Amino acid sequence: MSLRRLWILMRREALATLRDPFTISILVLVPLMALLLFSSIMSTEVRGLSLGILDLSNGPVSRRIVRELAASGNFAPRRFATRAEIEKALRAGDISAAMILPPDFERERGARAPGSPPPQIDVMYDGGEAVLATNAEAYLKSLVLASVGRAAGPSADVVVVPPDGAAGRPGLAPGPAGEVGVEGGATSALPAPGAATPPARRAATVGIRVVPRALFNPRLDGRPYMVAGTFGFVLSFATTLIIAVSVVNERFAGTFEQLQVTPATSIEILLGKVLPLGAVFSVDVVLMMIVAWALFGVWPAGSALFFVLLSVFYMIVSLSLGVLISATSATAAEAVSKTVLLSTPLIQLSGFAFPVRNMALPFRWIAELIPATHYIRLSRAIYLRGEGPLALLPEIAVIILMGFGLGALALRAIGRRT
Amino acid sequence: MNGLRRSISNVLAVAYKETALLRHDKTLPQNVLLQPIIMLLVFGFALSFRPTQVPWAVLDRSETSASRALVADIQASGYFEPPGRVAGYAEAHRLLRSGRLGAVLVVPSDLRRRMERGRPEVQLLLDGTDPITAARVAGYVTQIASHVGRRTDPALRGRGDTSPAARTGPEAPVDLRQQFRFNPTLRDLDFYLSAMAGFLLTNICLSAAALSLVAEKENGTYEQLLAQPTRPLEVVVGKLLPNIAVSYVSLAMATIGSGLAFGFWPKGNLLLLLLATLPFVLATLSIGVFVSTLARTSAQAIFIAVFFIMPSFVLSGSMLPYQLMPHGVREFGGLFPLRWFQIIARRVIERGATFSEIAVPLGVLVAIFSVLLAAIRWRMKPRLG
Repeated sequence: MSLRRLWILMRREALATLRDPFTISILVLVPLMALLLFSSIMSTEVRGLSLGILDLSNGPVSRRIVRELAASGNFAPRRFATRAEIEKALRAGDISAAMILPPDFERERGARAPGSPPPQIDVMYDGGEAVLATNAEAYLKSLVLASVGRAAGPSADVVVVPPDGAAGRPGLAPGPAGEVGVEGGATSALPAPGAATPPARRAATVGIRVVPRALFNPRLDGRPYMVAGTFGFVLSFATTLIIAVSVVNERFAGTFEQLQVTPATSIEILLGKVLPLGAVFSVDVVLMMIVAWALFGVWPAGSALFFVLLSVFYMIVSLSLGVLISATSATAAEAVSKTVLLSTPLIQLSGFAFPVRNMALPFRWIAELIPATHYIRLSRAIYLRGEGPLALLPEIAVIILMGFGLGALALRAIGRRT
Repeated sequence: MNGLRRSISNVLAVAYKETALLRHDKTLPQNVLLQPIIMLLVFGFALSFRPTQVPWAVLDRSETSASRALVADIQASGYFEPPGRVAGYAEAHRLLRSGRLGAVLVVPSDLRRRMERGRPEVQLLLDGTDPITAARVAGYVTQIASHVGRRTDPALRGRGDTSPAARTGPEAPVDLRQQFRFNPTLRDLDFYLSAMAGFLLTNICLSAAALSLVAEKENGTYEQLLAQPTRPLEVVVGKLLPNIAVSYVSLAMATIGSGLAFGFWPKGNLLLLLLATLPFVLATLSIGVFVSTLARTSAQAIFIAVFFIMPSFVLSGSMLPYQLMPHGVREFGGLFPLRWFQIIARRVIERGATFSEIAVPLGVLVAIFSVLLAAIRWRMKPRLG
């Protein structure tokens, strides 16, 4: 390997990259757009969800429930006149949930003998939107229970911790299935940490109250999670694509064959491609970190320098993958279908949005084979949990091994004459 | 009348030429056969927000029968791995930080005394990194714990928030009878399989159409095409026709595949689904063609297409509910045809919607297509240089 030849190749690549306004705009726009768009999508907070109301009782308590639901801001109640209309709206997707208060709701609630079943409210959710329904369920349940509890007044043996959802983003509050029927007659609608609930004077105790506390991200904000994941997205897909396209272009123009017949060795050609692009993407990483900090206040809890170093190494892995893809495609069209075919499962299996743990077993193995999975895991460990290099060694080792493996394959592909 | 007939004949001639090219395209079987199968597997088995196999540990300082019952109940729920044991808070923190544990249940030493006083309480330390998982795990444990010691219907116990009959306890001031329509067990599978066709068609249509004109530019045949008596729009429509056929084959693969593999058949009218697919396929193809008119090389076309595909999957609401996204991002997602198609597909496939219930998103798709067609026509005006 000759350093002079490598330097010339790197200079050539850098000039070719920086000369092209299209590549430059991709390098700046893709990371920023990804950061802006992806950072806010992972939300568990329900806001202004349309809720159909059929209030057959129309009493003070039922009206109060609806009023308080509207005031919470989490739901936008819409009144309907008949059950058939509600069913229709639910099917049409006009409302995401519906609540039916029966005609005898007030009477049953008022003249309730101890031990008799409590009055009923029918709630229907649009299960077609499974993810949304789960979140809506948690909110609606806790809001309604809180509202009924307040209506019951201080005389009743019902103690309700009001949700702070209306005030702002609740911490653990959106956790599904608020705590119910906890101890004796006391009902705490939300497992609010540290909420002082006076002990109920009941001998028979069932159930245990759980006080959840989320470490590293107490308010369960989705943004740091997605920001850390977006690094994985950009460094996997943008890098792989840029280099794949650059090599395919050279093959198209015939300059790649020219490179192959120069005295430059395969490793010099590979490094000459990878290093300049790696340098450019390192600038991108720092740019993204600064933007995430300036816009969302998200900064690594761990060492920022360690994160940058790790990202630089990971880039070499995905750049090698890009060389491999391009070296094995004869035409641009082939490279497209390959990258598209590869990238879709990549984004879905890498844990970018869907936790790898939730996958069925063979897919967990496949996910472990994807370099991005390991990088995203590391990125989140550093960004959110402030983990240091020592505890992360196994994951880092996996990325290093993959880097060597992919690098070797890319070298072989470059050396091959077409 | 004569003009129209000539137009149709021109379009068919271009379509014939494109079909001949497509027949020899080596990537076609990969697109039409391999991709639906991969997607079917991934969507069916991998995509879920429902926590399973959560690694957790217990820090039990009470060693009472109640704490053991709670641990057993949590484990019996099926969402958790067999629990580990940690000796103290420091170890719990360390393991949570390293990501090896998702949750640690801390049972205080005075649990028995607290139970006698009627206020038993345990703490659940969660790894808050992933907010959705953390919130759901908290929900499961809270629900399970509230039933400890109470004889309840075993079917209800421990099924957490997703239990179809998730009801409030008998001591609650009101009995909420909850029901999940169209998907009673709240399977994530239904949510993702119904969106699969949209993913598949976006991939196929965009990658095919994005290269359509660029390839001609690179081969130097673009000028020839424009110089022909066929009008530019006729060329475009002719190029798109064979891809529409390919799209319908993929749609059939996706629908029949998810039916056979997962027993998930559309609830609504199949003809309605076929009809609604047409404007979506046309709109997506025209985005591809528009990209093709913008790009100078096929490499650029690939780029724009891929970086259109990725956000459209995420922002359309196909992977995550768009209803939970903040304003701005939510509206931005409305620019993607996939947003409207996933609304249609979920309504027809999951809820059995009728035509009037999908008329609005259908209209939006037609509008997007018309705007794109006008844009393509403007971009394709023969010009020098």
